[in-house]
Amino acid sequence: MLSKELVAKSVEELAPLIENKSISPVELTEAILDHADATEEKINAYMEMYRKEAIEGAKKAEEEIVNGNYRGMYHGIPMAIKDNVYFKDKVSTMSSKIHKDFVSAHDATVIAKLRNAGVVFTGKLSMHEYAWGITNNNPHYGAVKNPWNLEKIPGGSSGGSGAAVAVGSTVASLGTDTAGSIRIPSSACGIVGLKQTHGRVSKYGVYPLAWSLDHVGPMTKTVKDAAGLLQIIAGFDKNDPTTVDVPVDNYLEKITGDVKDLVIGVNEEYFFNEVDDGIEKLVRAGIQTLVNQGAKVKEVKIPMLQYAEWAELVTSLSEASAIHHSDMLTRPDDFGHDIRMLFELGELPSAVDYLQAQQIRRQLKQDFQKAFEEVDVLMMPTLPILPNDIGDDWANLNGKKVDLIDNIIRFTGPGNLTGLPALSVPCGFSEGLPVGLQIMGRAFDEATILNTGYALEQTNPMKNKKPDLLLNA
Amino acid sequence: MSLTIKEILENKGITPREEHLEILETRWKGMQALRGDLKGANIDDADIALRNIPGGDHVE
Repeated sequence: MLSKELVAKSVEELAPLIENKSISPVELTEAILDHADATEEKINAYMEMYRKEAIEGAKKAEEEIVNGNYRGMYHGIPMAIKDNVYFKDKVSTMSSKIHKDFVSAHDATVIAKLRNAGVVFTGKLSMHEYAWGITNNNPHYGAVKNPWNLEKIPGGSSGGSGAAVAVGSTVASLGTDTAGSIRIPSSACGIVGLKQTHGRVSKYGVYPLAWSLDHVGPMTKTVKDAAGLLQIIAGFDKNDPTTVDVPVDNYLEKITGDVKDLVIGVNEEYFFNEVDDGIEKLVRAGIQTLVNQGAKVKEVKIPMLQYAEWAELVTSLSEASAIHHSDMLTRPDDFGHDIRMLFELGELPSAVDYLQAQQIRRQLKQDFQKAFEEVDVLMMPTLPILPNDIGDDWANLNGKKVDLIDNIIRFTGPGNLTGLPALSVPCGFSEGLPVGLQIMGRAFDEATILNTGYALEQTNPMKNKKPDLLLNA
Repeated sequence: MSLTIKEILENKGITPREEHLEILETRWKGMQALRGDLKGANIDDADIALRNIPGGDHVE
């Protein structure tokens, strides 16, 4: 098989070929690494490539498979991971200057689980410094570019993961998400991003941005790839005080594509207010395709959303500034200009502000819970705006110049505040850039949002479109 | 007496960059506007249930 064909394939396409020995993990890993070499100059997604270890890992996987010890969907699949997820004895920089030489003595729990599943690690991927931003325009390691338009941001903070999956320099990845950092780059780069329920996946060994809002989750080419990856990383971990010991579904088994009688909730006041016209059109069309398959739409009210932006900002700013307080006292010049400003801002809220934000958060959870008594999922745009030009701190919203960071997290932040699962699935292109549709669900009900996302994915007329750089590198 | 943002930060030992002060002022005002008066939120008796679990991180 041509290496271009290999790098374009999803895990769900590759896994049966690996299992029946039509392709070898070594051949696949070499193709991915060569493609990464060819695209890096333009994309800048990788922080570090583990070529030697990856080939060794692929040989080991191949030997196991040849000997009849196939471990499952991700066995022999090459993956690069965001650089705030720890690998034992490897540098994890968080794409920062301060942690440029930090070596973890242990694997993150998610990495240990992926090792057991037979994943081949090809390297670490760039991110917005300390995950505290959404442009991935990193002052220390350079900007990551969007494979669909090299002048545009890939979104962030998991921008290296988003760009690498989209351009084919990794088959799948893990990102982290505190206000949208999995879903934002997934939408901007035209891939699938899942922020599962808070507590479903261990964060042990992942450098924190804001403890109560942080998640680590799948960024993949397809919904089934995300389901397979979640299956591996989900579960209780005694090392993470926020994980919850609830049974893990069989996600792939529950993906049928059947959405007959599914009730889709739509909240017009918040999630369809101030949205780019092109995005709104595609998202409404996406919802309509599910209605055409037998789903129903019901409008829901979620009054506390009016305070969600404030609660998200106070919580994330305060927690992030607490984590970096010591370095802000002793070496503030070692932070990039943009995140230093956010750390300064995070020193301003009072203890009362923080606690009131938590009170809002609880009531917001109750509002969502009430909404989910009437509907099975909620649908909205992942982003209200299209990816902006690299270097700009503003975005264009229907001809109006608006603040970038405030707007780009508007629809993703509530998923972090409530901890509810949320999936971004591509639903088309506007002005040549991918658009994501976000599906939120009940706590620990990832199965329903994955099935809904799968049904949507099957109807997306642009689903087989690839960036030119993937095809012509 | 009201303190400036610069004074609040300096009291915590943090030296803000001069060019950040105007942006910080604007952003802080923007956050206050988003908060509003929290009228209708009924937060006075909203129990946020911060957990204090003796014996470890998890109830087992």
